[in-house]
Amino acid sequence: MPTMEKIDLFKQHKADYVAKRNPVLVEIAETTYLAIEFQGAPGGPAFTDAVGALYAIAYTVKMTRKAEGLGDYVICKLESLMWVEAGDPALVPKDQWHWRLLIRTPEVVSPQDLERASEVLLSKGKPAGVRDVYLTKLTEGLCVQMLHQGSYESEGDTIAPMTAFAEEKSLTFHSHHHEIYLSDPRRVPPERLKTILRHPVRPATL
Amino acid sequence: MKRGTLTSYKERMVRVLEYILKNLDEPMPLADLAGVACFSPYHFHRIFRGIMGRSVIEHVRLLRLERAAGSLLESAKPIIQIALDAGYESHEAFSRAFRKKYGLSPSRFRRTSGVDCRRHGNEMDRLVTQMGQPFAGEVIVNVTIKTVAAKRVAYMEHRGPYNECGGTWDRFLPELGKRGLLGGENLILGLCHNDPEVTPPEDIRYDACVVVDDDFQAEGEIKVQVIEGGEYAVTTHFGPYHQLNLSYAALAGSWLPNSGRELRSAPAYEIYITDPEGTEPEDMITDIYMPLETSRGEN
Repeated sequence: MPTMEKIDLFKQHKADYVAKRNPVLVEIAETTYLAIEFQGAPGGPAFTDAVGALYAIAYTVKMTRKAEGLGDYVICKLESLMWVEAGDPALVPKDQWHWRLLIRTPEVVSPQDLERASEVLLSKGKPAGVRDVYLTKLTEGLCVQMLHQGSYESEGDTIAPMTAFAEEKSLTFHSHHHEIYLSDPRRVPPERLKTILRHPVRPATL
Repeated sequence: MKRGTLTSYKERMVRVLEYILKNLDEPMPLADLAGVACFSPYHFHRIFRGIMGRSVIEHVRLLRLERAAGSLLESAKPIIQIALDAGYESHEAFSRAFRKKYGLSPSRFRRTSGVDCRRHGNEMDRLVTQMGQPFAGEVIVNVTIKTVAAKRVAYMEHRGPYNECGGTWDRFLPELGKRGLLGGENLILGLCHNDPEVTPPEDIRYDACVVVDDDFQAEGEIKVQVIEGGEYAVTTHFGPYHQLNLSYAALAGSWLPNSGRELRSAPAYEIYITDPEGTEPEDMITDIYMPLETSRGEN
């Protein structure tokens, strides 16, 4: 069976997805993603709509390129950036949380691919949210990274040692909290969910 | 009653085994065998495999080999004749199979009156004794009975070995995807019309299916069918696709005889929960759906 060589970015960039039970430093180079933004609680309606739109575009772009013989690639795991306007996110109501959902994507994917995909999806009656998906590049540079096992609500248990680790190294968090979802929350019980937590750091200024 | 069904599955399987033993030289279509004990021909092979741990063909071969061993000792027939009677086309093929089971060649077995051979009890005696023991419970399998709605699916037919159905998916999914019909939430399933263990690979029919809404129209190679709703026995298989047969066997051989239920004559299907592209084989999750006859409310 002739199958074309598939690009698997997750495997090609293993070092970016180090998932250890203690904090480590990683260096993340420029990375291309499909992205969509929304505001709201995790798991809420806005979240569900955004995930639906992002995956619809991801699959349509991939399958269209594959159907046209433009090469094949694995759709990477869902990731997200989360931030709040000001203050400690734990103290901000969840419906005011900001999110950017991400799926890592090969650089060959173009804005035209997204344009065509959203047109065909809209013609099938898919929600207008597919138009909000865009291509973006992130260069996070030096980051603290650690595996979190357990419910999303208990991420604080992992963020605490990450923060302590950064302080120990005279580093400070900047930019957005980043999560990479290794498990499918529909099938894996909360206590066994695995999520990579990442936060960019820079030298603390005195 | 559950106890009653277990006994009845056993009694029925013993009837099948006796029939096989009496008809060792006859062609044995699966439908006839299933009919002997009122099993649905559709799933009979899975039930047999699940309970006996081997396929009907393997079972028949084993019995023929035992009979051949008897002939070697008790008759003066030429070995090639005994080989042919046992269904082998050559002396070599017979010798190979014989040596695998008894640990020595047919001629040596005959010369030494079978004294040196590995001891193997009479298979039929052993099976019937085993039938007195609970044969279920060795394999732990979690099964739930679900009532599911009929599913309208777009599908592409695959004809040929199971392990090559990936090629059909590779053509099918891009066709749907470029039409804007795939998101991350589609129900993706495989409809299995035959059991790969008893069907010649080239004759296997498998439909690669994606659930679609009423607007979808068949086009070219992509057809539409409705998978019957009703009650299904559902189990989850964790691990690579090439081990799915173990979960089918556990469901049909271990759960079913204790369930008080009968399988319906309709294809089983598999729902692929994980995307095989981004998932390690050992992390793959597949739900197996085996159709059940409507419960008669006996228990």
